[in-house]
Amino acid sequence: MATSRICVPGQRLNRADDKHIGGKGTYSRNGFIYSSVLGYWEERPTNDNTEILISVHTGETQTVIPSIDDIVTARVTNVNPRFCKCEILSVGTTPLCDVYRGLVRKEDVRATEKDRVEMYRCFRPGDIIIARVLSLGDAQSYILGTAENELGVAIGMSEAGVSMVPVSWCKMQCPKTLNEEFRKVAKVRPEYIQTVHQG
Amino acid sequence: MTDVDLSEAEKTFILHSMQDNFREDGRGCEDFRHMEVETGLISNTNGSARVRLASTDILVGVKVQLVPVDPNKPNVGRIEFFLDCSANATPAFEGRGGEGLASEITAMLTRAYSCPSAIDYPSLCVLPGQQCWLLYIDVLLLECGGNLFDAVSIAVKSALFNLRIPNVTMTKDEGGIELDVSDDPFDFKRLDVAGAPIIVTVNKIGHFHVVDASEKEEVCSLARLMLGITEKGTVTAMKKEGSGSLDTDSISEMIESAKKVGVELNKCLLNILMTEEGQEVKPVGFLR
Amino acid sequence: MAGMELLSDQGFRTDGRKPNELRRIRFKKGVFKQADGSAYLEQGNTKVLAAVYGPHEIRGGKGKALHDQLLINCQYSMATFSTQDRKRRPRGDRKSLEMTAHLKQTFNAVILTELYPKVQLDIYVEVLQSDGGNYCASVNAATLALIDAGIPMKDYVIACSGSYIRDTPVVDINNLEESSAGAEIIMAILPRCEQIVFIEMNSRLHEDHLSPVMDQVMTGCKDIFNILNQQVRDELCKKSAQDRIVDSG
Repeated sequence: MATSRICVPGQRLNRADDKHIGGKGTYSRNGFIYSSVLGYWEERPTNDNTEILISVHTGETQTVIPSIDDIVTARVTNVNPRFCKCEILSVGTTPLCDVYRGLVRKEDVRATEKDRVEMYRCFRPGDIIIARVLSLGDAQSYILGTAENELGVAIGMSEAGVSMVPVSWCKMQCPKTLNEEFRKVAKVRPEYIQTVHQG
Repeated sequence: MTDVDLSEAEKTFILHSMQDNFREDGRGCEDFRHMEVETGLISNTNGSARVRLASTDILVGVKVQLVPVDPNKPNVGRIEFFLDCSANATPAFEGRGGEGLASEITAMLTRAYSCPSAIDYPSLCVLPGQQCWLLYIDVLLLECGGNLFDAVSIAVKSALFNLRIPNVTMTKDEGGIELDVSDDPFDFKRLDVAGAPIIVTVNKIGHFHVVDASEKEEVCSLARLMLGITEKGTVTAMKKEGSGSLDTDSISEMIESAKKVGVELNKCLLNILMTEEGQEVKPVGFLR
Repeated sequence: MAGMELLSDQGFRTDGRKPNELRRIRFKKGVFKQADGSAYLEQGNTKVLAAVYGPHEIRGGKGKALHDQLLINCQYSMATFSTQDRKRRPRGDRKSLEMTAHLKQTFNAVILTELYPKVQLDIYVEVLQSDGGNYCASVNAATLALIDAGIPMKDYVIACSGSYIRDTPVVDINNLEESSAGAEIIMAILPRCEQIVFIEMNSRLHEDHLSPVMDQVMTGCKDIFNILNQQVRDELCKKSAQDRIVDSG
C-alpha cells in the first residue's frame, strides 16, 4: 500500500474496529472512519502498538483553538486582586493567528496556600506566562491555571523594563537594578524552550 | 485601513531603509507594484474591469440607464459612484462595516470626475433637456493590500474604457419623441476616456514621498496626499489624509511627484487596454 | 411565456443543453491570500466568490457564542452589477437575508462543529454575476473555500437546482428557466451518503412529478460532485507530484 495518499472530506478510510482508530482530520460514523479534510492519508501504530491510528494531515498547520488541558503561552494584560486577565498567544508550540482571552483566577495560581495568594505578587501586566487550560470558562474567556511547578511566569519585565532572571520559585531579579520582584515563577522545562525556538 | 500591527522596531526598519532609498520590497519611491488589468469579465454589465495591484483586488461594473436630465445641467450625462467593501476582504467589512471607507473613496472619485473634461459628458446626453445616460459605476472591493484609492481609480478608468453604450434611435411621434435603445450587442458607441483622471496617492514617510504604498508602509506614513491626475498632467482633485501635517514645500514636491507618476500611469494603462482590446482574448478572471 | 420554447421539440433547452446536462463548471481554490480559505466558481454565467475566515474568537457580542459548538456566521451578498437590472443594495434585502440563513443551515449540517466550541467561523459569499442557481453556486463555492481553509467537514455539500418543463425534468436551470418555468427545486446534498441537507421548492408542481425531478437534481448534484472532486484531487496531486504521492482514487 502506498504510504501517502490523497483524501478528500467524506472519503471512507477504514472500518472503525478495535484495530483502527481515527486521529486528526478524521471522524467516525456508523462504524467507519471518514476523512474530514483535504490532505494525505497517514497510518501509524499507536504507542502501545495495539491499534493503528489513521489520520489525515493537510500539510499546513491546522487552525488550533485552546482546549482543556492544553499548555498555552499567554501575555498578562490586566491584574486585579481576584484574577488576572491575559491574552493567549499560542497553544503548545503552535502560535495562534488570533489572540483568545484567558483568565487566571486567584485560587488557580498555585497548588498550596491558595488563600494566601496575592495576585500582585504573582503576575504583572506584560509578563509572559505558561498556563494550563482548566476549562472553557464562561462566555467571556478561557479559565487558565498555573498551579504546577512548570507553570507560571516565564518572562517577566522589571520596573526598569529589563527581562528578569528567576532567583527562586516566587522571586525574579532585575539584572540592571538588582531589585527583586515577586512573581509566580515557572520552572521552564528545557524541552519546552527548545520547541519554542524551533517554532 | 485594515488591521496591520507593526511594532516600533518594524516601523523604524521601514523608515530607515527609506532613508537609503530602499523600500521593503526593493522598489524606488516612484515605482508601482505589479498590476494586472482585465476588462469585460462581467457580461451582465455594459462595461467591467478587474484590477489586481499586488494583493489589492478591485472589480468594477458599469451599467447604463436612461434617466431624465439634471435640470441644472440639461446638456450633459450623469455618473454615479457606488462602492461596496466585500466582507471577503476582511471580516471587519461585514454588514455595514465597510461603509465609512466606501463613502470616503466614492467622495474622492466623485470629486476627481466632477471636472467637466474628465469624460465626454455631453456625449452621454441623448436628448438635450430631456433624457441622458446615467452611468452607475459600481466598485466592489474584494481584497485590500494597500493603495486602495489608486487601484479603484485605475479599475474605474478601465471599466469606462470597456464601456459599451447602446445606440439610441429617436423617432418623432405625435405628442413627443420616442427613444428606442438598440438590443444589438454590436450596435454601441464607446466613451472617450482620454481625459479620465487616475488617483495617485503620495505618502509621506519620514522625509520621503512614496507612491503605491503597501499596507505596512501606509501604517508608517502619517500624512498622504491624494491627487486626481489626468493624462496631460492636470490635477482634478486633491485631498490630504492622515494624522500628520504637511508644509507647503513638501506639498508642491508631492504634487510634482504625483504628476510625473500619474502621467506615466495613464499612458501605460491606456496602452495596456488598447493591446488587450486588439488581442481579443477571452477574460480569464479569477480562474488563473 | 408565449413564443418561447424552454424545451424544443428536439429536446434542447434555450441555451442548447439537453435536459440532464449541467452548465460548464470552472473553479479555482485559493484566490485570495488574506482569507483562510477562498474559492471562485463559475456555473455557466453565474459567478461566485467565497471566502472563509476562522475559526477565531467571537467578534462583537460575546453572547452569541455557543458553549458546545462552533458558531457559523454567513453573509451572502450580491454585487450591485451582478443582475440584469442594477441592484440598489448588495445585501440586507429580504432575499439576501433568506439566502444567508439557508447557507448557515446548510453548513451547520456538514461542518464538524463540535470540534470548535465557543469560537466563530465566517463564510462570506459574493455573487459577481447572476444567471440562475445563485444558491447552488454559492454552496458549491463555499464548500471549496472550506476545503481550502482545512475546516473539517463530514463530506462535500453540493447543491443543484432543477425544474419540470414539458413533462421532462431538467437540471441546473438558468435565469431564464428560473423566471419563466413553473416549479423550481433546489437541493443541497452530501453526495456520498445521499443525504439531503437542504431542499426548497418554489411555485407548484404535481406530486407525481416531484420524485423524477428530485432524482434528476440528485444526479445533477453527483455530477457536480464528481467534477469538483476530480479537480480538487488533481490539484493536490499536481502540487505534491514531486513528493511522489499516489492518489488513492
